[in-house]
Amino acid sequence: MIFNRFTDRSRRSVEAAFEEARALGHDSLGDEDLLLGILRADEGIGAEALSSLGVTLEAAREESEELLSAALYSIGISLEEIRRESGDAFEMRIPDDRKIPYSPRAKNALVRARKEMRRLGDNHLGTEHVLLGALHDEHGMSVRILAGLGVSAAEIEDRLNQVRRETPPG
Amino acid sequence: MDENTRTQVGGTQDPREGLEAVVALRRMLEALEAAQVENAFVAGWTWAQIAEVLGVSRQAVHKKHANRIRARYPGEPPGRKGKGA
Repeated sequence: MIFNRFTDRSRRSVEAAFEEARALGHDSLGDEDLLLGILRADEGIGAEALSSLGVTLEAAREESEELLSAALYSIGISLEEIRRESGDAFEMRIPDDRKIPYSPRAKNALVRARKEMRRLGDNHLGTEHVLLGALHDEHGMSVRILAGLGVSAAEIEDRLNQVRRETPPG
Repeated sequence: MDENTRTQVGGTQDPREGLEAVVALRRMLEALEAAQVENAFVAGWTWAQIAEVLGVSRQAVHKKHANRIRARYPGEPPGRKGKGA
């Protein structure tokens, strides 16, 4: 039901989002994982717009970790020190046998993606709509990660429109 | 640590920042627990011993960690020879 009208590409980007969430220790799928999923799957208009603005998966992951580290620092905890003290066994990864649910923000982003699809008069929900959905919440992690990389939501929207004019939907 | 940029723990300085710190801490706690349980397992501790120190049931710790750790150490891990994992 949630994937109704999704293209193969955007569906794969959401699957990739869950892999990213797991690798980063997110116990629910965040809106930033949708962004990372688009970068990881690396296909469709969303991925194309991001990469043309110089946004890479590695940089976005690092920025995500940076936000986590900053939040811990704000209460006086050093992620780096804990990593060092805990040794090789320390990794944020969520074990494979544990299910990761959608966070409210990710759900809202996908609801928003559908609205973006309608607003743009499209019949299929592609990675560009998922990206617009994730960027809709100004307090969301996607917006903050991209801000950290020096790219605003408005810039991405402009680029998406530009790529859409040049590419068939997907 | 710069006191000006630091959230007062449990305080009301900036609710968003405070709540986000909780999320970050929870993620880190999970990773830390996984790492320390693994370290104990590799050092030869039984599930019962690990559970006792964590203050949870043996079943709980086994359910949460056994699959992951066994997948990481096919056969007997170092330090566990003959301990009957």
